[in-house]
Amino acid sequence: MNGSVLQLDGVTKRFSGHTAVDALSLEVPKGGIFGLLGPNGAGKSTTIRMIMNIITPDEGRISVLGRGSASRELSDRIGFLPEERGLYKKMKVVDQLTFLGEAKGIRRAIARRKALAWLERLGLHDWTLKRVEDLSKGMQQKVQFIGALLHDPELLILDEPFSGLDPVNSQVMKDVVVEEARQGRTVLFSTHIMEQAERMCDRLVIIARGRVVVEGALADVKREFGGRHVALAFTRNADRAAKVLADRSLIEKVDDYGASAEVTLAPSGDADRLLRALVQEDVGLSRFEVVEASLQSIFIAKVGADAATAPAKEVVHA
Amino acid sequence: MRKVWAIIRREFVERVRTKAFILGTLLFPLFMGAMFILPGYLMSRSLGVKSVALVDATTSGLGAQVETAFRAARIGKGEKAKPRYDVTRVAAVGRANAVRDSLVPMTGLSRKEAGGFDGILVISDSTVPTGKAAYYGANVASFDDMQEMEGTIRPIIIARRLQTMGVDPAEVMKSVQGIDLVATKVADGKLTGESGAATFILAYAMGFMLYFALLLFGTQVMNSIIEEKNNRIVEVLASSLTPFQMMLGKVAGVGLVALFQIGIWASVATYLSTHQDKILAAFGVAAGAGGKMAFALPSMKPDLLFVFLLFFALGFLLFAAAYAAVGAMCNTTQEAGQLQMPVMMFVLAGFFSVFALVRDPNGTAAHVLTYVPMLTPFVVPMRYSIAPLPLPELLLSTGATVLGLIVVVWLAARIYRVGILSYGKKATLRDMLRWIRTA
Repeated sequence: MNGSVLQLDGVTKRFSGHTAVDALSLEVPKGGIFGLLGPNGAGKSTTIRMIMNIITPDEGRISVLGRGSASRELSDRIGFLPEERGLYKKMKVVDQLTFLGEAKGIRRAIARRKALAWLERLGLHDWTLKRVEDLSKGMQQKVQFIGALLHDPELLILDEPFSGLDPVNSQVMKDVVVEEARQGRTVLFSTHIMEQAERMCDRLVIIARGRVVVEGALADVKREFGGRHVALAFTRNADRAAKVLADRSLIEKVDDYGASAEVTLAPSGDADRLLRALVQEDVGLSRFEVVEASLQSIFIAKVGADAATAPAKEVVHA
Repeated sequence: MRKVWAIIRREFVERVRTKAFILGTLLFPLFMGAMFILPGYLMSRSLGVKSVALVDATTSGLGAQVETAFRAARIGKGEKAKPRYDVTRVAAVGRANAVRDSLVPMTGLSRKEAGGFDGILVISDSTVPTGKAAYYGANVASFDDMQEMEGTIRPIIIARRLQTMGVDPAEVMKSVQGIDLVATKVADGKLTGESGAATFILAYAMGFMLYFALLLFGTQVMNSIIEEKNNRIVEVLASSLTPFQMMLGKVAGVGLVALFQIGIWASVATYLSTHQDKILAAFGVAAGAGGKMAFALPSMKPDLLFVFLLFFALGFLLFAAAYAAVGAMCNTTQEAGQLQMPVMMFVLAGFFSVFALVRDPNGTAAHVLTYVPMLTPFVVPMRYSIAPLPLPELLLSTGATVLGLIVVVWLAARIYRVGILSYGKKATLRDMLRWIRTA
């Protein structure tokens, strides 16, 4: 098993002319929380649907839990929260969950017991015997979330689990996801909300237009981007400061705000050299801080204008 | 298998709980009960004891004879049958009109309570040669009442006439006895004791039941798949079960609901027909009052029942799978309305072939259609009810149907597999063929 629960190898999927996923390769190690990040239309859901064998890739190989992509045989070991929530509106909450559990192959009585325990835990106890259609959207989402967890899967695949949730419910769900991961399960979740990913992920991949843009452990990704950004403020000799900041061997990019600036160091430059140069020019430094890049800024830096011009949402039509 | 069972259970339980199901299950027997109680009930009301004043202007004792005949008339049959008429004979030789006029004020519905009459019947000596008698009453518009009275009087008049001609009425009655062809079915050289009419009713009834079940429940399969597509439940299910399992569970679940509902209806119908007299009595309707309107279920022999259930099940599965495929190809029920046409055509063709073939159940057409899988569920039970098919023919036909079922389910499963996860535009015939090839 070499420690990975999920492997994608050169996976490609095209929909009537446009390539939704383009030779995507990634590996999800066992344990921890893995974030699949990207702007709208980047191919996140398509990727997840291929992993779930809902649609088949045109090219490439997918292996889940050490087997081929026929994850239906593994469905008992996988929990799946689809992007488009689907529940039987007329069913009672507890019946619905029992059914979802049964569909995953657990016994009816056990499914029911677990469903009740989960409903209690997520504060939906009073809604047990209500019909799904009487629940708010957020509550329905929690119900569906329980449906994905009910059978204690080894691998939890959540497509946009937090979309449409208020901060309080988001927090509740986040706690559950983190708790599940702590118990040794592997969680793969997709999102386009970077703050969430930043708080939860151990590892992540950012994809845009169906391709991997950034990949690795969160700490590594940040380290790689961190140390390249410096925030500074000076009190005098702004013209001399500007001269230093104009040095392309040292500085790659400047966000100049007059008396302060945020700069990105050039590959050949480093923070020490910049500090030395600025002290030498006597600019009266009031701030000099090597900032750790936020995932948001990494995301924007890497995906850039792509994010703003996401292609139209794909229509699955094989 | 446990997963499929979960689907079947869900389909069954959730469907049986709906208001539509409960209402349908209850209303149909009520309707059926009303159908057989009402005619008898209405008839027995109109058949209440008629109070008739018999104005007897005859000199030959004809009036007394008519009176006796009226007194002998009964409503219904058997010991408990009530008299039909309450006759009051008034001798009125030579003053018939005066007596009649004196009785008219006592006649009519409103007068009956006060010891009056429903009508006045005037007979005279001229009634025998002319065949005319006068009746004055409130119920003269009732064709049945008039016929009844004519029927009561007629034999007496005829007998009188014959007597005047010097012929023995008893001999004549014997000689004019009509001929009645008593049809009894012979099957395999044995008498069955079934009448011809019951056999035909049964043949139609079986065809109608399948037709009805397919229209009602086939479209339910289709619509619920469209619904599942729309609320994206299929994605969750598709990650847990194979499309084939999903389709199987759906079709079997809905099939059980159909069986359950039709079973309830059939039990109610059987109960009503076997306890007919008691139920009618409870409504104050005399047994047999309904006459020909009475409701009788043709009996089914165990072998016919087996053939019927077998072909019903095969037919239901075959068509339900086809409906499932149509559902998978559509996004809205409107689209489904068009796409289900080909399936509907086969259902209708099967249903109408019953009507066409029942006249010649052993003709060439009937023999050929016995091997056309989409039609056998209609044709075979119909043929079997009229004359049991030879075993080899029956086996061959069953084989053909099972083969057809496998082909249809295989095709439907492939269409279903791709279709359920395809949203957006309606699938075309070309899409369908591609799905079948690639799935």
